[in-house]
Amino acid sequence: MEVNQDTIQHLAKLSNFALADSEVARLVTDIKEIVNYISQLDELKTEGIEPTYQVFEMENVWRPDEIKAQEADRDALLTLTKEVENYQIKVPKVL
Amino acid sequence: MTKYIPTIGIECHVQLCTKTKLFSEVDNDARGKSPNSCVSPVDYALPGMLPRLNHDAVKLTVKVGYALNAVVNLYSRFDRKHYFYPDLPKGYQITQMFYPIIGAGFVELPDGTKIRIEHAHLEEDAGKLSHESTYSLVDLNRAGTPLVEIVSQPDIHSAAHARDYTKELWRLMTHAGVTFGDLYNGNMRFDVNISIAPEGSDQLGTRTEVKNLNSFRSVERAVEYEIKRQTKLLEKGEKVVQETRGWNDATGETTGQRSKEEAEDYRYMPEPDIPPIRLSLEEVQALRDEMAWLPKDYREWMRGCLPEDTTEVLLDYPQLCRCLTELYHSNEKSNLELAKSTAKKIANLFSSVLLAEENTSLLNDELPSIAQLQDLVMMNDQKELSSTAMKEVFLRFFDPEMHYKDTRTIAKELGVVQENDLGALESIVDAVLAKPETKQAQTDFKAGQEKVIGFLVGQVMKESHGKANPSVVQDILRQKLR
Repeated sequence: MEVNQDTIQHLAKLSNFALADSEVARLVTDIKEIVNYISQLDELKTEGIEPTYQVFEMENVWRPDEIKAQEADRDALLTLTKEVENYQIKVPKVL
Repeated sequence: MTKYIPTIGIECHVQLCTKTKLFSEVDNDARGKSPNSCVSPVDYALPGMLPRLNHDAVKLTVKVGYALNAVVNLYSRFDRKHYFYPDLPKGYQITQMFYPIIGAGFVELPDGTKIRIEHAHLEEDAGKLSHESTYSLVDLNRAGTPLVEIVSQPDIHSAAHARDYTKELWRLMTHAGVTFGDLYNGNMRFDVNISIAPEGSDQLGTRTEVKNLNSFRSVERAVEYEIKRQTKLLEKGEKVVQETRGWNDATGETTGQRSKEEAEDYRYMPEPDIPPIRLSLEEVQALRDEMAWLPKDYREWMRGCLPEDTTEVLLDYPQLCRCLTELYHSNEKSNLELAKSTAKKIANLFSSVLLAEENTSLLNDELPSIAQLQDLVMMNDQKELSSTAMKEVFLRFFDPEMHYKDTRTIAKELGVVQENDLGALESIVDAVLAKPETKQAQTDFKAGQEKVIGFLVGQVMKESHGKANPSVVQDILRQKLR
């Protein structure tokens, strides 16, 4: 897989990161190395093999539809956020 | 001039009416609730939180499948769809990309047109954003609400059919009892894909997608607008840009939001936190057995019994339809004909008294009890209530002061029970015939003037304070004057 500046910029955009040019250059090197290392797996023939969804082979792990009081209430959760207005989480304007 | 044929496919998101969210044990009905009051650490995506699947959400999705005449896939599983936006703090939505729970099916519109369903899958809803001038606010009450996305094939070719399809979906979902179906609160939302191509062309045109429509009317208007807009572009020799467009209900126009320069990159991957679902045939069959009646069942049942347009109106009120079936089922074993005529009378009352006079706000309150409705029809059958009196009593079933009383008590309080006791009626008739002012009429009637019987009946009605049954009175009068 080809890793270049465009790949890094694309990934940054998907994750909403702002990257300085120097960071992009460093990431190209780092991610290239990581991808190269993982590319060893390409030697395996995986055609027609389903991806592993989970390793425990469990099925139907579900719960009854009952409301349970939560240990962490709204106030506890809102203290984790930077800014709050009218019980809502304030974030930079997104559209 | 070239004639253009529109091709339309619709994705519909249905919020399920489970008590809790899809993956967390908090209240799922956030209507009218304070922001972020229905959230758990799972919805907040705190590190280490494990989502746990709501079994009832799975069951309701199976019912969606039946309502769509669709294949229920016994094996299904979840995937992560990544996107970065504050309405889902995890950074991905848990959805079913590769193994959806519901396979191919179809929806039949009232005019018989069939719209094929490609598939339907279960996923979580995102939170709600409100945009202020310089910032945005996030309310996660809706984040994690179970959502079924129903994807149609591009089988729709007019704005009217697009509307009919969305309306029929609403009816199917509300009758199946899987959603509150509250469109105003976004319980069902529609994304509409529209393209046009010259008649006879075997290639589809470039499509646009109008997202987040929340009424049948806006679906119809948005499609009409897009067809016109795209036709104009093609006629001028310009091209339709593939893009997402927003709908403005006030102006009746769509506007471009962002063009898809590149295919969206959601980096789907298997969801390791939620093990796959494997349903047994028994479980699926049991769910089918407990399905409520669907629109097609009502149409078949009411055919020949009610005019088609009355049936279609009644179908917009699922709770009312359930009341009718309950009434029918309570009678059907003892007397099928009576069951049918009783249900028909009540259906007519609902449609003429409530729907025709736009008293539908009354329907939001509790509906009358089956016993009340049974007695009402019985009193009418036994001529104790005239049709007019029956309507009057029926309306009182919705009156908060009276709705808890039984039918006979209400009828008595209104003073509309007809006097059928022959002995009592005869003495009233005798009293009227003894009055000097009726002598001339009696002579005239005997001389062959049929019409004056009306006058005499009127006098008896007056004497009985309107409670006498006029046709019985007429019989008695005719006997006495023979």
